[in-house]
Amino acid sequence: MTHLSMETLLSLREPGTEPGAAAAREHLDQCPDCRTELDRLHQRVARLKALPTLRPSRDRWPETAARFRAERLRRRNRQIGYVGLAAAASLVLAVIGGDHPQPAVSASSQIPQVMERSQALESALSEFNPDGRVLDGRTASMAQELEDRIAQLDRKLQATELSQQQARDQDLLKLWRERVGLLDALMDVHVTRASNAGL
Amino acid sequence: MDSSLLANAESVVARARTGDPEALEALYRAFEVPVYNLARRICRTAEDAEDVLQETFFEVCRSIGRYREEGSLWGWIRTIASSKALMRLRRNKYRETDELHDEVVGKRHEDTHLRMDLEAALERLPETSRAVVWLHDVEGYTHEEIAQMMGKTPSFSKSQLARAHARLRGWLGEEVTQ
Repeated sequence: MTHLSMETLLSLREPGTEPGAAAAREHLDQCPDCRTELDRLHQRVARLKALPTLRPSRDRWPETAARFRAERLRRRNRQIGYVGLAAAASLVLAVIGGDHPQPAVSASSQIPQVMERSQALESALSEFNPDGRVLDGRTASMAQELEDRIAQLDRKLQATELSQQQARDQDLLKLWRERVGLLDALMDVHVTRASNAGL
Repeated sequence: MDSSLLANAESVVARARTGDPEALEALYRAFEVPVYNLARRICRTAEDAEDVLQETFFEVCRSIGRYREEGSLWGWIRTIASSKALMRLRRNKYRETDELHDEVVGKRHEDTHLRMDLEAALERLPETSRAVVWLHDVEGYTHEEIAQMMGKTPSFSKSQLARAHARLRGWLGEEVTQ
C-alpha cells in the first residue's frame, strides 16, 4: 500500500478542502500507519507551540530610542529648514508688498530670528554627533530629559501653528524661545560632559 | 505574552502616535519578548535576533501613525517582525551554503540514529524551512501569507513545510515502523 506523503498529511490539517483530500481521508480510514503519522504530526506541532519562550539577553530599548531620536532630529532639522525658508519668503513678500507694515518689535517679526537660532543650535548639535558618543548614566539621563522636553515642545508648536492667527504669534514666539533655551541646555550638557571627559 | 501588558500597550497607542517617548517605550516593553522569541526562532544567532528586535521597534516608532487598528496591535507588530527577520535571512551570506551543509550533517545524524530533542532539531533545520515551520505552525500564518512575505509561491511554502516535517520526524526518531 502506498502511504500518504508528508505534504498530503499536512494538507489535511489546513482549513478548506485541498484537491485529493477526499481520497486521502479514505486512505486514512483504512491505514493505521498513516493515522499514527498524522497523530504524530499533530503532536509535533503542539510541542512546537509549547517550546519555551526565548528572551533577549540585554535591553535594546536605549539603542532603539536613541536611533529613533536621532532620526526624528534629522527630520525636524529638515522641516525647520523648510519652515525657515517659508518664513523668509513671507518676510520678503511683506517687504515687497508693504500694504500692512508690521510694528518693528511684533512677535511675528521676531519669530524667524528665534527659529534661525534654534536651527543653528540643532545644526551645531548634529555636528557634535551626540548619538555617536558614549555618555555616562547621569549625562544620558539629563540629555534624555531635555530631548523629551524638546519633543513635547515641538508637539505644542505644531498645535499652536494650527491655531488662530491673532493668538498664535505671541505663543509661537514664547515656545520657540523656550526651545532655544532647551537646545542651549542640551548643547551645554553634551559639550560640558565632553570637555570633562577630555573628548 | 503578558495580558496586562498587552492591555496597557493598546491603551498607549494614541500617545505613541504623537511620538510620546514613554508611550513608545511602553509598546517596546509590552512586545519585546514575543518579538524576540519570533526573531530568535527564525534567525540563526541571538545577535541576529536582537538586531531584528531593534529593527522592528525602530520601524514601529516610525510607523505607529500608520497603524489603522484594522487588526490586532500584536498582529501588526508581528508582521513587521516577521518581515525584518526574513530580510535578515536574505541578507546573511551563510544561507547560500546552508542546504548543502544541512544535507551533509543530516545524513551523518540519520546514519547514527541519533535522537534529538525538538529544540535541537528545530535549530538544525535550514533557515528557510525553520522560518516556514515557525510562521505556519506556531504563529499561524497561511502559506499564502508566508509566500507573500518571502517573495515566493504558496507551493514553495508548502514544500518547505513538508520537507521540514519529514526531517524533524527522522531526527526525533518518530518514523512509523512499516
